[in-house]
Amino acid sequence: MSGSHGWPLWRRQITVLAKQEIGRSLFSKRSLAVYLLAAMPITLALLRALFLPESQRAHAAHTTTEFAEVYHFFILRFIVFFSTAMLFVKLFRGEILERSLHYHLLAPVRREILTVGKYLGGLLASAAILGATVALTIALFYLPHGSGGMAHLTSASGLGEVFAYLVTTVLACAAYGALFLLAGLYFKNPMIPAVLFLGWELLTPFLPGFLKLLSVVHYLGSLEPVPISQGPFALMAQPVPGWLAVLALIAISAGLLALGAWKTRGLEITYSTE
Amino acid sequence: MTAGIISIKNVSKFYGEVLGVNRVTVDIEPGLTGLVGPNGSGKSTLMHLLCGLLRPTRGSISVVGVPQDQPEELFRLVGYCTQYDSFPNGSTGYGFLSHTLALHGLDGADADRRAWEVLERVGLTEAARRRIAGYSKGMRQRIKLAQAICHDPRVLILDEPLNGLDPMGRAEMIDLFKELADAGRHVIVSSHILHEVDLISDGVIMIHGGSVVAEGSIRDVRGEITAQPLQVLVRCDRPHAIAARAFEFAHVVEAQIVDEATGVLLRTTDAGAFFPELGRIILDSGVEVETVTPADESVHAVYDYLIGDGGGGP
Repeated sequence: MSGSHGWPLWRRQITVLAKQEIGRSLFSKRSLAVYLLAAMPITLALLRALFLPESQRAHAAHTTTEFAEVYHFFILRFIVFFSTAMLFVKLFRGEILERSLHYHLLAPVRREILTVGKYLGGLLASAAILGATVALTIALFYLPHGSGGMAHLTSASGLGEVFAYLVTTVLACAAYGALFLLAGLYFKNPMIPAVLFLGWELLTPFLPGFLKLLSVVHYLGSLEPVPISQGPFALMAQPVPGWLAVLALIAISAGLLALGAWKTRGLEITYSTE
Repeated sequence: MTAGIISIKNVSKFYGEVLGVNRVTVDIEPGLTGLVGPNGSGKSTLMHLLCGLLRPTRGSISVVGVPQDQPEELFRLVGYCTQYDSFPNGSTGYGFLSHTLALHGLDGADADRRAWEVLERVGLTEAARRRIAGYSKGMRQRIKLAQAICHDPRVLILDEPLNGLDPMGRAEMIDLFKELADAGRHVIVSSHILHEVDLISDGVIMIHGGSVVAEGSIRDVRGEITAQPLQVLVRCDRPHAIAARAFEFAHVVEAQIVDEATGVLLRTTDAGAFFPELGRIILDSGVEVETVTPADESVHAVYDYLIGDGGGGP
């Protein structure tokens, strides 16, 4: 029926699948919880902007550190983690539960293409929601500092910081997203492994160096522009160079995605057992 | 692998310890084939296996020469209307079809044109922009069928496709299946309602407990059941005359006057000899015959003889 084959067809199929997932992730009921999560740091930043004591409004120096801590401990570890969990787990699990995955498996689409298309849709949607959240939160953090705060934000170093946070967020979406897509394929209740993995990520600062390499947040932390204290009990480790952290996160995402694609190749439709 | 036929070779499927289908070997020629069996007999499992939604535990399947692990090739050739009454959340009829067509590689304008053609064919043009969740059972059945035929497949596999359709809708769909089969396509229709399959199929595959118990044309399958006498209903003005003469032949084991003496039901153990002799009886006795019809060359009767269970008739 169609004249296109090979890469042109795959590109078209990936686009169709990604568009569908973007639509579902941004505009369906499933996205409501993600929007609520994403609104939390914005609300926090807004309250801070409204109620910041006058004495602290003059100088923006503390704000940089303050935001770095909010980003690492709240946005990255909690908001990004659970938002990506909600979005990516449902890419396959959602369709299995609503008993509609077979329509995709009955289309002339390689299972690997199906996996990549869905993943890219989830990635673009999560990056858009969480990237906007991060950008807005930063802006609200500097807002009470008036023109000084805005000057910092629009300076080369300020824009560099914003860029670094956005790159870190997108890479977090990529790595956690691939992990949760895989969890959605392997587990009937993927939130259990998600919570276990969260525990592992929370333990990362207290793990010896070689075990830190097995976490995602270790590499993400290396990309954050402002170093933060992990507390008195954290075990120090050699920081990963930025380029290596980026490569490691891309490799982790690609590896997990490849595992997901391998799983979908053998996927069978047995809804009654799900 | 043979091009042109659907070949299932020694296929078994187990769900853990539970048997789905067992050592099924069947070749299916183009035309309308009925897959018959009671609920839980393995019909849907066999259909899922044909489409690669399940992988066989043992054996191999090729659909017109394409193995089931090549989805890009397979699903250009195959359309499958499943029994699942579920759809992607929030989809409209049109959106559902155009998404499917886009995955087949059609660009926007072509997908749009083809989607409307198919919607018209299944009679859903007016409801196309409505959400499928608000469709009636019959409309949902039609949109599933539209999804199965939208890419003009050579092989159409339909799992209980007439469920939920009103009589008019059933007639329309049966005409569509026949039209597709007459065009040289494979149309495989499963049903647990035997007379439905009887109406539409050129051949049947009878399945029970995960195993194929018979296959072929309904008449051939019936002919092979020698243990059960063939029943023939003769509608005529003097059934008693025919009944009396019929007992002259040793192979006629029963004659029963039926329907207030408007017909006689004869049972014979030798169908080959029976029909010429029946012709002679009719000529000799001068009886006016309205019809002579085999009374048990239906899927229902055959299934009953084979399994000892009608399989849940209408």
